[in-house]
Amino acid sequence: MVVLSYLFYVLVFPGLLFSTIVGLILSGIDRKVVARMQKRIGPPIIQPFYDFFKLLGKETIVPRTASRKTFLYAPVIGLLALVTVALFIPMFKFTAISTVADIIVIIYLLTIPAVALIIGGAASGSPYAGVGISREMVAIISYELPLVIVLLTIGKKVGMALNNGAITFSLSQIVNYQAQYGPMITKWSLIPAAIALLLIIPIKVGSVPFDIAEAETEICEGPLVEYSGVPLAIFKLNHAIKMFIMTSLFVTLFLSGKGTGILIVDILLQVILSAIVVIVSISTLKAITARLKVEQVLKFFWTYPTALALLSLILVWMGF
Amino acid sequence: MLKELIAKSFEKSPWLFHLNTGSCNGCDIEIVSVITPRYDAERMGFKLTGTPRHADIVLVTGPITSQSKDRLIRTLAQVPDPKVVVAIGSCPRSTNVFNGSYSVEGPLDKYVPIDVSVAGCPPKPEAIIDGLAKAIEILKEKRRAMK
Amino acid sequence: MQHYPILSIVTLFLGAFLTVIFGSKNETVRKFIALVASSISLILVLMLIKPVMIENNVIQYWMGNWRPIHDWAIGIGLEVDSLGLFFGIIAVVTIFLSIVFSFRYTEKDSETDKYYVLFLMLSGSVLGLVFTGDLFNMFVMIEIMTFAAVGLTAFRNYQEGALEAALKYLVLGSIGSSLVLAGTITIYSQVHTLNMAQISALLFNNLTPSTLFAFALLLAGYSLKAFVVPFHPAAPDAYMSAPSSISMAFSGMVNKAGVYAIIRLVYVLYHAMSFKSIQLLLIIIGTITMFVGVTMALAQNDFKRLLAFHSISQIGYVITAVGVSTALGLTAGLYHALNHTLFKGLLFLTAGAVFYATGTTDLNKLGGLAKKMPQTAAVFLIGAFSISGLPPFNGFVSKWLVYQATYQANLAPVTIVALLVSVMTLASFIKVAQSIFFGQMPKEFENVKEVPLSMRIPMWIMAILCVLTGIFPNFVTKYLISPAVSAALNVGKYIDIMMGNGYAEKILGKPVEIPAVDYVLAGYWNPVAWLVLFALLLLAVTIVAVAGGFNTASLPVDGDDSKYEVFFGGEANEYSHVKGNDLFWGLKYDLRHYFGFMHDAHSGIINDYALWAIFTTTIFIVYIFLLVP
Repeated sequence: MVVLSYLFYVLVFPGLLFSTIVGLILSGIDRKVVARMQKRIGPPIIQPFYDFFKLLGKETIVPRTASRKTFLYAPVIGLLALVTVALFIPMFKFTAISTVADIIVIIYLLTIPAVALIIGGAASGSPYAGVGISREMVAIISYELPLVIVLLTIGKKVGMALNNGAITFSLSQIVNYQAQYGPMITKWSLIPAAIALLLIIPIKVGSVPFDIAEAETEICEGPLVEYSGVPLAIFKLNHAIKMFIMTSLFVTLFLSGKGTGILIVDILLQVILSAIVVIVSISTLKAITARLKVEQVLKFFWTYPTALALLSLILVWMGF
Repeated sequence: MLKELIAKSFEKSPWLFHLNTGSCNGCDIEIVSVITPRYDAERMGFKLTGTPRHADIVLVTGPITSQSKDRLIRTLAQVPDPKVVVAIGSCPRSTNVFNGSYSVEGPLDKYVPIDVSVAGCPPKPEAIIDGLAKAIEILKEKRRAMK
Repeated sequence: MQHYPILSIVTLFLGAFLTVIFGSKNETVRKFIALVASSISLILVLMLIKPVMIENNVIQYWMGNWRPIHDWAIGIGLEVDSLGLFFGIIAVVTIFLSIVFSFRYTEKDSETDKYYVLFLMLSGSVLGLVFTGDLFNMFVMIEIMTFAAVGLTAFRNYQEGALEAALKYLVLGSIGSSLVLAGTITIYSQVHTLNMAQISALLFNNLTPSTLFAFALLLAGYSLKAFVVPFHPAAPDAYMSAPSSISMAFSGMVNKAGVYAIIRLVYVLYHAMSFKSIQLLLIIIGTITMFVGVTMALAQNDFKRLLAFHSISQIGYVITAVGVSTALGLTAGLYHALNHTLFKGLLFLTAGAVFYATGTTDLNKLGGLAKKMPQTAAVFLIGAFSISGLPPFNGFVSKWLVYQATYQANLAPVTIVALLVSVMTLASFIKVAQSIFFGQMPKEFENVKEVPLSMRIPMWIMAILCVLTGIFPNFVTKYLISPAVSAALNVGKYIDIMMGNGYAEKILGKPVEIPAVDYVLAGYWNPVAWLVLFALLLLAVTIVAVAGGFNTASLPVDGDDSKYEVFFGGEANEYSHVKGNDLFWGLKYDLRHYFGFMHDAHSGIINDYALWAIFTTTIFIVYIFLLVP
């Protein structure tokens, strides 16, 4: 029975199937909203599904210079890590794995898809991919610093209220805190951290203006340059799921709370809130900005979001 | 069911790769205008990709110059099946005003079979979209023939 | 059982002498001697696990049976508690695997008898250092260790820079040894004994200015042996020029010997961890060490040099965690020390394999080796992910403990730096992966072959240990780490076993407390749940594979078809490998002032480095005089 429930968690909800569907829908919403902002009609919301299934039907080419196994399995490793993260993120009262939900696990698990992209790109042997992975790594270094500070800040804030000052690394405890004291976003000392996280989401999912790694006009989609067919489909899926995971994480960290108590409604609420976060943080930025240069990304993330996150951290440590 | 889904998706999500083989840039600009808000080809799922590996439809503009011939053949070979080659404008089809130039080795169908040819110098965006719609039909057929 | 520790040490030294006598002519004989000596020592030490780690005994042994008379220790004593044994296990595993790796690895070298002699000396001295209960004996052992290490650094003296590296090591190592000797003498002049248990008892609540001075000297000396920044500059050169099996021993046990000595010094000898200022000192040097190490590693162009800087950086983690001084912090530090031995040993072995196969470890010359050496590439990736702390490998567990320990001790900046360092570690290993194992292969490496089996076996053992210690952290903490932690904290027992029951109480004036080693591993992951998850996810992969999505056999690769060339803007394929220097432009550009400063600071002049060492020692002395009560 336990095995069956785990199987259900992994394969259906909130694992593979659910996050696939929601992720693809969210990226469809993103494309639609960007199109509307640019006064276009835009693709249908289920366009990412079409893209995904079309890629399944395409031929898979492995270049001669590629290390074949690494090249083909890298996207799957990324997908597995993302599905695992999906199990850790609580949606209001619901968590698939409640006892081990842990922030540092999530930080590292969220690194794995990026590493999978890097290793896959490196394995293809293309020079474009080489440049792409270098940029992707710079992007990781850029966002990791503020992301870590934001997560530690929230852990401290919750720990001070619930744990007598000891830090908590548990996401379910963060949700409990919000159930008791209202959503985290209403605490004024954490608003800078929220803004920082909103800026981190686009780079984490690799969207404009921070898509230096996959700049299709400069370096031919970077690490993805040699991918076609099924592995490419899985990478595109990874992107979509990452979008869902990141926004859902934001919702859990800042907008969560008691919920309604009815599971279906809670999940729907989580998805709707995630969609709003997508629109606010990803689509708006995408529609109004152009791609930054590599060194500008690092400079940006190590100044503004880091400063915002540090401000929150200091405020929280001072007891506000 | 998956097969039907995939067949349907081929119709809805054709990705384009744009290949300039010595064009005067007129057709290129018209291709770009296809994805502007006025024509918005993205509503039909068209998307410009950066690499031939992701493409379903290759848009070729320009007469085939001797510099670009090998590169054209190589790049077209790198597109995964099923693929459709669309000649945009009169140049790839007949080498147009460049006919007879020392450096032009066109037309395109000397080297690869053209699936759809959109005439015009440059063709109107509407014509390009029409050509792309025809290309999708051919793409679907090729997909069916593949399996 | 009583005799196991001394036998395990003596076997190695005896092996060294026998190699000189019998092994100078015959290659097989010297290999046989080295293998037998190291396996006997391995077995003897592993047999100590049950009594020491599990039954929690402390083994004491007086050489020549010179027992203390009238509560005053005269003879040299060995004392093996769980802390010493923990480092002993690390050392013997490293020795054994390194010896096995050496057999084929050194086949192109001449005069390998000297190699085995020095290597066995090095091994014996490290084991002697961690098992001894005598302060002066520690100095002797660390001297033997340093000089054996210098000799081994210069072993490939036909290589560029090997002699220079040996000279640097010699000069800096001598400074370190002198500091240790001076500290030891100062202590002896104060307390008139060299037995560590007795010193520990006599120094309790009895810190005179000269013992503080000795403390600063010893701390600086052993920090130098552990290659803590800014004592580090000898390390990269030495690790780079030494044969890889030796580099593995350097980072696996020579480094650890320094760490062990620091732990012994601050926890047992001086009871210093109750002072906030000493904690802070260790945390500061640890944090600086990890940051400087990793940023320097990012800028390197040589595989082994890069690994050497990572050794420095990871030692920074250990020192920081040890400095936090809670039970959790010590656990984190020891766990990371263990993990560092495993993954850094593995990585040095892969570097050795690359060198064996291609003759170079220069990141700007290699490329695309994963196709030719798939197993080496696989174990390299395991090692790289372990050191970067990706789950489910072992680095993740220990780094997590470090973060938790530092953050709980209200050291948020340290946690943040540690996490950043972790990401930068990942970055530099991505650089190695791209430069050596992936990307395009230069023409001259087309005939490269996978390394022989006797070299792959140690690598796979290390790789499997990396995964196991990552998946079963509970077992590792229960059977290896927790006993060592409680031994480090339970000073009273250490004293009592050596000097006879009741001695500690008599001198310390209070009953020996048994420290409570309990810490909550907040949200410690449940390995079973993870196993279930991974099993299920692997199932999902299999489904994909069966469905034909990854039917690699059906994907044609060979032939002249340009379809299977990489996309190169339509150009014909030519060799264009993005490697070493080309990577991470944005990062290097943004941090150019920092990197420029670091580049200038590491001038390569020994005088400068010696000056750093002396200067830092002075700072230690001043700091300790000012801030330690």
